[in-house]
Amino acid sequence: MQILVSIDDTDNLESRGTGELAAMLARDLTEKDWGSSEPVTRHQMLVHPDIPYTSHNSAMCFAAQLGAAYFNTFSDYAQEFLRQESAQGSDPGLCIVDLEKLSSPQEFIAFGYKAKSIVLTKEEAYGLARRLNIHLSEHGGSGQGVIGALAGAALRLTRNDGRFRGHLKIETDGDTVSVSDILQKTYVEIVRSLDGDILQEHEVVKLGNKVKAVLLEGKTTLPVVPLTVAPGETARWQTCAKEQFRRF
Amino acid sequence: MTLWTINAAGRKEFCGGQHARELAAQAADACTGFVPDDEDELVSDDLRTCYNCRYRRWTVASFECMLAAII
Repeated sequence: MQILVSIDDTDNLESRGTGELAAMLARDLTEKDWGSSEPVTRHQMLVHPDIPYTSHNSAMCFAAQLGAAYFNTFSDYAQEFLRQESAQGSDPGLCIVDLEKLSSPQEFIAFGYKAKSIVLTKEEAYGLARRLNIHLSEHGGSGQGVIGALAGAALRLTRNDGRFRGHLKIETDGDTVSVSDILQKTYVEIVRSLDGDILQEHEVVKLGNKVKAVLLEGKTTLPVVPLTVAPGETARWQTCAKEQFRRF
Repeated sequence: MTLWTINAAGRKEFCGGQHARELAAQAADACTGFVPDDEDELVSDDLRTCYNCRYRRWTVASFECMLAAII
């Protein structure tokens, strides 16, 4: 079965980030032979004075292929994992979506987008989760993290939101690489400019420091920007600066 | 320019907003408590800037410095 696993509000100012816990959970799922996990994505929600959050109000989510017999095993494990690993004073929430049982993907996705623009309540989150057959649970503190956890999974389902945790490791002799190599050596599916131009495989990209991918229009995307071509150089594009990633 | 104000929540908020790159870097240079946040939460290519500090808490228009809350 295909599942989405999303967690939120597991940290405090001094602790490990929620992304690290999501990556640990994804790794454990694979290492225990319950299935195979995909990379973790970060999804930004609304920043608002009425929303309690540690520092940025984002949720972390990963997709996984899970053996059908292991759903309850994994769910129990993930709940205990959050109880054990979440930071003191945090309000952790866990969402697990079995995509085959999800009764209204459109309604689910709408909740995700709402979490980017309005203040939502725990009651709304639990009500939706019950109606759509989604596992949603809280594991300490106020449990407020259930809102972000649910929204994070919904936004991952759009395949048009968020950036991937960590950075891409692209082996190259210098500081440039062909689009062909990027597509072959990483999980990136498309290299695309911020203006929407899709790069061809022969084109060359100058790599910046710690290159990141985003989830855009259904594809794992490496965003790039045009580069003023210097004499003797072949790269016409460069990876985005961190400031340019804020939009994702 | 004054870099900080006390906001309605009683916390120290940066006056420069979210795109004052030089001012945020200056503020971090002058701070003894700067600690870079997780790599996934870095938003500036200037490593030492309040925008990348684990003790900044984003607000609608800027960020709050939460360092006082943990000292």
